[in-house]
Amino acid sequence: MSAMFQYLVLFGLTVGTLGFVLCLYGLARSVGHRRAEAAKDVPATSGSLSRDPVWVRYHVRYYGYALLFLAFDMEMAFMYPWAVVYRQEGLTALLDMGVFLAILFLGLLYGWSQGAFRRQR
Amino acid sequence: MSWLIPLIALIGAIYLLAVIEGWSLGGAFSLARPARAALAMIGQESTKTRKSDALFYQAGPVLLLVAGVLAVAVIPLAPDIILADMATGALFLNAALAYVLVALIMAGWGPNGAYAMIGGWRFLGQFLGYAMLIVMPITAVAMRAESLMTTQIVTSQAGLWNVFYQPLGFVLFMIAAQALIFLPPLDLPVAPGELAGGVEAEYSGPQLLVFRLARFVIILALAGAATTFYFGGWLGPVLPDWVWSGLKTMIIAAAMLSVGRFLPRLREERFLALCWKLGIPLSLINILVVGVLVLVVPV
Repeated sequence: MSAMFQYLVLFGLTVGTLGFVLCLYGLARSVGHRRAEAAKDVPATSGSLSRDPVWVRYHVRYYGYALLFLAFDMEMAFMYPWAVVYRQEGLTALLDMGVFLAILFLGLLYGWSQGAFRRQR
Repeated sequence: MSWLIPLIALIGAIYLLAVIEGWSLGGAFSLARPARAALAMIGQESTKTRKSDALFYQAGPVLLLVAGVLAVAVIPLAPDIILADMATGALFLNAALAYVLVALIMAGWGPNGAYAMIGGWRFLGQFLGYAMLIVMPITAVAMRAESLMTTQIVTSQAGLWNVFYQPLGFVLFMIAAQALIFLPPLDLPVAPGELAGGVEAEYSGPQLLVFRLARFVIILALAGAATTFYFGGWLGPVLPDWVWSGLKTMIIAAAMLSVGRFLPRLREERFLALCWKLGIPLSLINILVVGVLVLVVPV
């Protein structure tokens, strides 16, 4: 199976899934309809509208983790190709990545010491 | 017609999962219950909250389902029963499952409800915890198999299953999987009894049906991934190969669905601290141990 054909299969799956969902919605629409009633559109907040709008600034208290996550996520992009050729390259690959991961791990320890790993206030 | 058999198997497996979920939650084994519940949800009126973001609200569940289906596509049931045997299968699984985060934030933001939005942002926090724990163990698996191809990862375990070769990676992967599909005890974005359903709270009718269905598809993808990466996929004696992988997948999925009954829900902040202070060092150690093993012991 060529790579092009595989992507075609995946594209077909995506389109098929969308078609399935549309069929489901069409079926639901043909079975019954939406009736407009007062206060039916109030979100689930114990029946009363919240005083403030909901789309406000949300305090992301985990931003310390988020910053370190960026560094680790970039590292993963290097690790997949490295993992595939690991056995061929042998000890060199182990040492190369060992040094790289050690530096990254030091970064993690530094972030930890600076209080990145806690609920920020 | 090579795609027809895995597709039928997928539909059957999802139905079976729904039966198992009803069994583990409600305590009653009923084959008809998921079908009845699905029909009821099709007939249910789908309400819309006021001033909602229609695009995000509608796209959330659909994106979740598409992500799940694409992730399932790279999981082999047998050497030749697989939808897309890609050279980058294990990486593609990660890429597809990354959209779970996007879908949940969309579903949380869309309806303009406080609980839903908090659920969505909470899941972003949960993501920061589990993301590394799902990719790093897979790296260690790929190191042993010398390939990202899912079928090749299975054949690399002919001598010894990875669950015995790298047990640490398996444990970390399962915790991350539980968090990825937000099953209890890590069900922070929905959290029934605390957030009133969270992300799911504003959905009803066919949209809720798609959301629930998507969740089952992703559970299946993760259980299938655990089977492929750690339990030797279709490898096993006597029985035909597709029976083995199906059986293993179902047992893992059943365990994932019922483990929450025995554990209390973990707070987001605790989960994050645990993942970064313990989980990431452990998964780095796992990579190191596997790296040495791969070079020293040729199994």
